[in-house]
Amino acid sequence: MGWRCENTRIALKITVFTYRHILLCLLTVTSTLCPAFAAINTARPDSIRPDTALRELDVTAKRRPLATVQTIAGSDLQSLSSTSIADALKYFAGVQIKDYGGLGGLKTINVRSLGSQHVGVYIDGVRLTNAQNGTIDLGKFSLSTLESVSLYNANRLEQCQSASEYASGATVYLQTRRPTADSLTILAGAGSFGTWRARANIQTKHRQWSAFVDAEYLNTKGNYPFRYKTEYEDTVGHRRNSDIEYWRAEAAVFRSGFASHFYFYTSERGCPGGIVRRLSDKYVNVGREWDTDLFGQLSYNWQPAPRHRLKFIIKYAHEYLRYNTDYPENQNTAKVDNHYWQNDAYASATYSWTPWQWLNINAGYDARMSWLDADLKRFSVVRRLDQKAVVAGRATWRGVSLAASMLFQHYCDHTITHVGAADPLSRFTPSVTLAYQWRSLSLRAWYKKIFRAPTLNDLYYTQTGNRNLKPEYTRQWNIGAEYNWSHSGFSFNGQADFYINRIENRIVCIPLKGTYTWSMMNYGETYCRGMNATLNGTYSLRDWRFSLLCSFTWQKDLNHTDPDDPDTYKRPICYAPTFSMGATAIVAWRQLSLTVSRLHVGKRMWSYADPEDILTPYDNVDLKLSGHWRGFIASLEVNDLFDIQYEHIPRYPMPGRSFNFTISYSIR
Amino acid sequence: MKHLLIFILSTLLLAPANAQERIIILNEGNWQADNGRMSYFEDGAIVSNKWFRDKNGMKLGDTPNDIIQINDNLLAVAINWSNIVQFITPEGLAVAATEDVPNNRKLCTDGRYVYVTSYGHECGTIDGMREFTKGYVAKIDISDFKVVDAVEVGYEPEGIAIYKGLLFVANSGGYAFNEDHPYETTVSVIDAATMKPVREVDTGQINLYGKMSQSGQYLCINSPGDYYDIAAATIILDCRAVLEGKPDSECFTKLEYAATCNTTDRLGNFLAIGSRYSYYTSDYQFDYSTIAPAAVTASGGLEGVSEDLPGTMLEDIKAMQMPYAIYVNPYTGYMYATDAGGFNSAGTLYQWDPDGKLLGKHKIYINPGHILALPPDGHFSGIEPVLAPETGSTATDGKIYNLQGMVIDRPSEGQIYIRNGRKYIHKTR
Repeated sequence: MGWRCENTRIALKITVFTYRHILLCLLTVTSTLCPAFAAINTARPDSIRPDTALRELDVTAKRRPLATVQTIAGSDLQSLSSTSIADALKYFAGVQIKDYGGLGGLKTINVRSLGSQHVGVYIDGVRLTNAQNGTIDLGKFSLSTLESVSLYNANRLEQCQSASEYASGATVYLQTRRPTADSLTILAGAGSFGTWRARANIQTKHRQWSAFVDAEYLNTKGNYPFRYKTEYEDTVGHRRNSDIEYWRAEAAVFRSGFASHFYFYTSERGCPGGIVRRLSDKYVNVGREWDTDLFGQLSYNWQPAPRHRLKFIIKYAHEYLRYNTDYPENQNTAKVDNHYWQNDAYASATYSWTPWQWLNINAGYDARMSWLDADLKRFSVVRRLDQKAVVAGRATWRGVSLAASMLFQHYCDHTITHVGAADPLSRFTPSVTLAYQWRSLSLRAWYKKIFRAPTLNDLYYTQTGNRNLKPEYTRQWNIGAEYNWSHSGFSFNGQADFYINRIENRIVCIPLKGTYTWSMMNYGETYCRGMNATLNGTYSLRDWRFSLLCSFTWQKDLNHTDPDDPDTYKRPICYAPTFSMGATAIVAWRQLSLTVSRLHVGKRMWSYADPEDILTPYDNVDLKLSGHWRGFIASLEVNDLFDIQYEHIPRYPMPGRSFNFTISYSIR
Repeated sequence: MKHLLIFILSTLLLAPANAQERIIILNEGNWQADNGRMSYFEDGAIVSNKWFRDKNGMKLGDTPNDIIQINDNLLAVAINWSNIVQFITPEGLAVAATEDVPNNRKLCTDGRYVYVTSYGHECGTIDGMREFTKGYVAKIDISDFKVVDAVEVGYEPEGIAIYKGLLFVANSGGYAFNEDHPYETTVSVIDAATMKPVREVDTGQINLYGKMSQSGQYLCINSPGDYYDIAAATIILDCRAVLEGKPDSECFTKLEYAATCNTTDRLGNFLAIGSRYSYYTSDYQFDYSTIAPAAVTASGGLEGVSEDLPGTMLEDIKAMQMPYAIYVNPYTGYMYATDAGGFNSAGTLYQWDPDGKLLGKHKIYINPGHILALPPDGHFSGIEPVLAPETGSTATDGKIYNLQGMVIDRPSEGQIYIRNGRKYIHKTR
């Protein structure tokens, strides 16, 4: 019989990014790659007095011993390779980036093998959402406007956290930099594979107000070379149809407790498929994609009385996507030309009360309404109302801290799609954290249970959607320790966490028994044990500054789905490496800085069928050299210095060595 | 005593010389992962699960979709996502490959030409590039592996068979979900010699998709329906009735069974495994059937179907996680089916003896979808031991046909052929 490619594709197109996401589904969603790195943050003692009025910026920049967090901020962040936030995140411990290759290739983050849909990405405390498939493409966000990038396992545990912030297994926080002076910066860059970029940034600060506008244009041909060389294959070629052109514009206005952010992104890109045996280049699998994303968000942090704080957020987001395969050189697929529209309105209110210095109570409610429309056959508009409420408390007594939260989530969909809407979903999920701090050492233990609701694609996508899906649950246990030390120009931070997580009722796209079609199903259970560790040190001496950031991840992520299947039961989850590590060394002298990063990712299997179905381990070395002179900054990046050919997804080769040169000029 | 000695001697001499069960299995692999593989199974054991690579030092390609034998020395493999029709010897050695037929689907042959269906819209022929709005059938000359002709049929043509010089092509219209055309309901009939359309038979059933089995004048064509309002069905097409110009409605019988994978047994019956799925209810319904095509045709579908398979095959297949192919070795009667299992772990080949006694299970590779037996003595006569009785009026052209309806110039000793509408065993004298 055979599986008919076009049906497979239909099935897989559950996510919008057809080709790339197909694999996401096909390959059982877990797992991925796994870099790691550490985070630095000059750990500050927990000196925030709860009744002190704080600006949002301060709140997020302070270190809490309660949470398991890694942060890269400030100059360290700018010292890393600058193409996308995926480049910063790949150095965190426990992180696996999935990358379909090239600047336009979908980049998603997976933390501790929970699956990318369990990782919430927040920009200034507001979640980026995609009601359709729940996955955020990290390639759409730039490091250039960010103050810090942080990864929290479980909860962030701050005051005035919205209910949504409690609702994911792991959270990535992108903190926008607030301007501190007036400036104008222009930047131009050129890189390998026909890459050109230009950026302009205007910042202003006037009394309590500050604002910026940041706009960027990038164009890359992307036809990068690759080589597959094994005993039975020597394929050399160029990855065609991997171009991207995008415009990104962001603006923000701040005034003490008030923050706003406006974002616009539009792109056209090629979606190349896997590299498969072909006799010539006559036929290529051309899919092209156009996106337009925009959002605007406003938040206000208000302290009406000394022990009371309130926070309000509103946000509106719109996403448009078109996917087209109607090209003559594309003979393999149906002539698809589909359009998708999403709208998303969000509001949140949070109240934080600190009756005594040792106790903080947090209560929040938020609601999100999402609409999804697409010109697919047998599809009609789906509307989802997603409400969340949380009550959380935190108590501290002589170095012992206890935090607990209870989250309530309610999902209710409306659609006139043929199958009808799924039944409403209501669930309570708890989390609890216990920590102890003694001088520079802190110990922590936490538990969190959370689920992800099936996305609108999971439920309603024509032909693959399954309205009977149950939520996918994760339970995480963690114990860890952190130590900070600093002395005359030297500072050190080390942390280690041991964790167990279990995932039940995984939502995966699998072929239906004996039919030609695929469908979303609850299938699978995983059991993961692991250890994350980071070591960071900095040393400053006169004009010199040395930083070393290291991260290690070891984990056994095992398939616990079917005890009767010896081929898969208790075997590693596909795409999850057992060991990975990252190290970044930064040396700065006066106006010059050199960064050398090395990332090691161990072997991953990608199918259970044959021991040779593995992705080979790789070591990636990136360099970045930059120098300041008056208002100029020039930087040269070499990514994948030794031109290692590797893949995150089988047959989706990564670009190998590339160069990137930028020069910018600022007026202050 | 003398007889016994001769028997023992001949057994000793002959048995090691010729393997009886020589089976090639195409593992489709994962889509776009370039891991299509060929498994080779011989007399109860897997020889290799990467047979093509072992023999040729290169990979097969992405999503192999069909395999046929053309003559003693040649086989053809349709490798769909690689856009390649690969020709190999029965020993697995690559002979030639062509990408002139992109998006190729299924194959058939008359021993001189290979006919291949394609969902694509262009075809590189000896007369230059031909373009088609719908799908097409290409005719490949095996003397130089060039496409000598091509003809447009319906949208997304799938199964193909040859009967008495006519090609029968099941049109699926399977891209209907994405493209601006409905599902197809027709079988296109093409004159193989001239590559001109002869007629179209409208079955009234949409999406004629999947493997097509042939038993003499009958074809077994599966339709999965649309998974919503139109249920799965099986069409038993009577090629002879088509040939005789009977009206469409008298050329086929529709059965309310799915036949997702099907094959022809040595008695000329179709064995089928099918599943019907509804997106409304998310429910499955499974069908396991043995279809006697002549009885089905004669009774208008009221008789001739038994919901059973030989021996323990039925229970064994019911216990599978994901049945993916079924096959009867036409030379020996041994039976095979595959279980694709989980989609990212190795599939399993099951083997039964002709009575349906399970002989063994063998790990193969991902998505084992297509099976072909090689002749034990190495001589491929084109014969499929298919004994469905011919009915209706008979051809009296004196030509010799094999049981697949191919014209045979030089029949081989001891094989069954059809001449003037009658079967006979050919003897050279």
